[in-house]
Amino acid sequence: MPSHDYKTAGAMTKTLEERLVGALKGESIDRRTVLGGLGLAGAAGIAGFSGGASADGDHGGGDSHHGNFGAVGEYSGNQFDPHEYLYQFNTGYDGQENVTQEVYMEGDQRIRRFELNAVDIEIEIAPGITFSAWSYNGQVPGPTLRVTEGDIIEVEFTNLGRHAHTIHPHVKNINPAMDGIPTNGPGVLDTGESYTYRWKAQPCGVQFYHCHSLPLKEHIHRGLYGVIIVDPDPERVRENPRDYINYDGPMTDDLVSQLVTKAESRNHEYDEGEDVNEMVMVMNGFDTNFDGDNEVYAANTRAFAYGVGDTDGKGNWEPGETKRPIQVDGQQLQRVYLVNAIEFDAINSFHTHSNFFDYYDHGTMLTPTLKTVDTVMQCQAQRGILEIDYSDHEPGLYMFHAHQSEFAELGWMSFFEVV
Amino acid sequence: MARSDGGTNTVNKPFGLPRWVAAILPIALLALVIAGFFVATPFAGLQGSGAPLPDVTVTHHTIPNDDTIVLHVVNNGPEDVTISQVLVGDAYWNHQVMQGGEEVRTIGARESAQVVIPYHWNPGWDLETALVLNDGTTIHHTIVAPEQSPGVSGDVLWTLAIIGLFVGVIPVALGMLWFPFMQSMSDRALHAILAFSVGILVFLAFDAGFEAFEIAEQVPGAFEGQLLVVLGILGALLIVQAVTKWKSSGTGTPSGLWIAYMVALGIGLHNLAEGLAIGSAFAIGRVSLGAFLVVGFMLHNVTEGPAVVAPVTRGSRPSLGHFMAMGALAGIPVIFGGWIGSFAFSPTLGALFLAIGVGAILQVVWEIGGLISRNGQLGSSLNLLGFLAGLVVMYATDLLVVL
Repeated sequence: MPSHDYKTAGAMTKTLEERLVGALKGESIDRRTVLGGLGLAGAAGIAGFSGGASADGDHGGGDSHHGNFGAVGEYSGNQFDPHEYLYQFNTGYDGQENVTQEVYMEGDQRIRRFELNAVDIEIEIAPGITFSAWSYNGQVPGPTLRVTEGDIIEVEFTNLGRHAHTIHPHVKNINPAMDGIPTNGPGVLDTGESYTYRWKAQPCGVQFYHCHSLPLKEHIHRGLYGVIIVDPDPERVRENPRDYINYDGPMTDDLVSQLVTKAESRNHEYDEGEDVNEMVMVMNGFDTNFDGDNEVYAANTRAFAYGVGDTDGKGNWEPGETKRPIQVDGQQLQRVYLVNAIEFDAINSFHTHSNFFDYYDHGTMLTPTLKTVDTVMQCQAQRGILEIDYSDHEPGLYMFHAHQSEFAELGWMSFFEVV
Repeated sequence: MARSDGGTNTVNKPFGLPRWVAAILPIALLALVIAGFFVATPFAGLQGSGAPLPDVTVTHHTIPNDDTIVLHVVNNGPEDVTISQVLVGDAYWNHQVMQGGEEVRTIGARESAQVVIPYHWNPGWDLETALVLNDGTTIHHTIVAPEQSPGVSGDVLWTLAIIGLFVGVIPVALGMLWFPFMQSMSDRALHAILAFSVGILVFLAFDAGFEAFEIAEQVPGAFEGQLLVVLGILGALLIVQAVTKWKSSGTGTPSGLWIAYMVALGIGLHNLAEGLAIGSAFAIGRVSLGAFLVVGFMLHNVTEGPAVVAPVTRGSRPSLGHFMAMGALAGIPVIFGGWIGSFAFSPTLGALFLAIGVGAILQVVWEIGGLISRNGQLGSSLNLLGFLAGLVVMYATDLLVVL
């Protein structure tokens, strides 16, 4: 991805390290308390993951060498940075360099136009482990498309891969030719073929796109998937509030204005959204040995990417160059657009330590589906919006991970670093 | 035969060339062809881009202490292999890949390495480990009921020597005490006893042969375990046979004493493998050789005594020194096997030793058959029953020794 500048990443890591060291100086007891409270999988979980080779395992008073779980070493490839991916939204106006995009009008209909190509690439999914992926625009997950409800999403898709591919959108789509499946419209596109899909952006929420060629399992698991975020249109919310709330009682002005405010907060074209730190996380996994079971699990492709770089299991840790926590401002609301793209496992999940959040299943409603939970479950292609508030938390590391402990120990395990 | 070729003698000067040139010529031409093959790469068009698949074997593991597991790894393939990550119980775990005291990630072709994993294991709880290579290939290795490996110490050497003494030397010596009784037997009865010992040896050959092929499956791919066993069996058979022929070239038939030594050697090689099994069980922490097992081995091996001395029951009695030498030859290898097995065990070595034992035993079977048929009838009903009895006794005592 052209937008990945490793100098920037390196500088960011350095800043992060310095700020962290500054933040934690003289607070070693608090630090340990925080880490001590993170205990997943007993002692090993408390130990956290580490740089392995550099972790000599000399902890617990030097009486034992129990070892730490976690991937050894750092990522070497610079094609993809999961930290950058978190915040990359392609709106047509603005986005990644590797996504050709524009916005234009057809009468009074706004069109957001994107170009996506299927390409075969090698990606690094755990330090030192590469995977032959099929991707949209050379990245897994594919570029995140972000539009406003009611727009037309125009995707010119060109297949540059070795196999035949499609794009199937999870939106309400009234034209079967645009469904992106082998039997309708253009069917599968062979190598070198192009087709322009047009989908109406509806309903609002966090939606999903993926290849629907056969064998389906393989085309999805190899990496052909991505996220479409359809922001609610506050004007439309004002006119049709009942479409955005799972509620049959009287629709007061107060309630309508609440919904409109929420819609504004979720719409990238309104300033209200700036108080919120918005992130995209795609839960995925990779079957590296073709046994129908994933060897690597992750949020955004790289195992342990949002973990700490190295730890001695006693609260003394350092961010790595390529494995580091997601640094967030505790005073901002954290909004995670979460999509489950896992293959071979029936469900996946998201669990926050020391905090509870509101969950909007599919994000199609403007009121929470679940209020105040710390764990949600998603089956494959299920998605939702999480709103997490750390405003009353002390600075430090707060773990989040799949609460299938197997997935967590195989890579889907991360930290927010609240500053 | 010399053939005339228009008056030219083609034997001493084929095509008019000196003999040594004619001998070397095909080799030189072959070298040229091979060199040409590498230069021209005539099959390049047939080759896909498919690189050779990585071929890595975890030969065995050792558990030096409470908090460490060591996997012994061999790269069988022609290409380098990079071990990127290690899974223990389906979780990524930290580790070091060590080669000759240095930390590495990549293992060269045909090289071996140790993967050292700090892990607080539970005695008796199976551990699933897996090496994850850089291309995502997984190499699985299950540690069944982990127990700490004893490591090298005087205690261990001494313990293994004692076990070897009880399992190998004493039973064989006890078995040899049947010698005076066997001397008093009639020819018919003695032949039956010889047939009985053939039964014992044939059974041992099968026993060790199956074991060898079983171990051969763990032999790293590059060493072709199965074929190594075949080579070991045939090689030992042919070498012992050649030595026997050379030794008996004067008289035409090998002496009874010679056969007895050969029997002792064959049994000794078999017992060496037995010792390897005990020692390697020790090495991987399987120290469950209780008194019962030792008793089982003793009963099993006591039948080997008469097999050794049967060939010398006619004619003049050999000196006591010969008996002691034969007993030592047959029994002491258990101790050496135990030592080798506990400190330098490898499946390759284990399979090879077993195969050599089988080859030696088969040759001895052949000799004893010859001994009987020179003095009597090999296929008499009594002999056949004796042979069968040998098989049955071995099977029965083998039941006591399921290692």
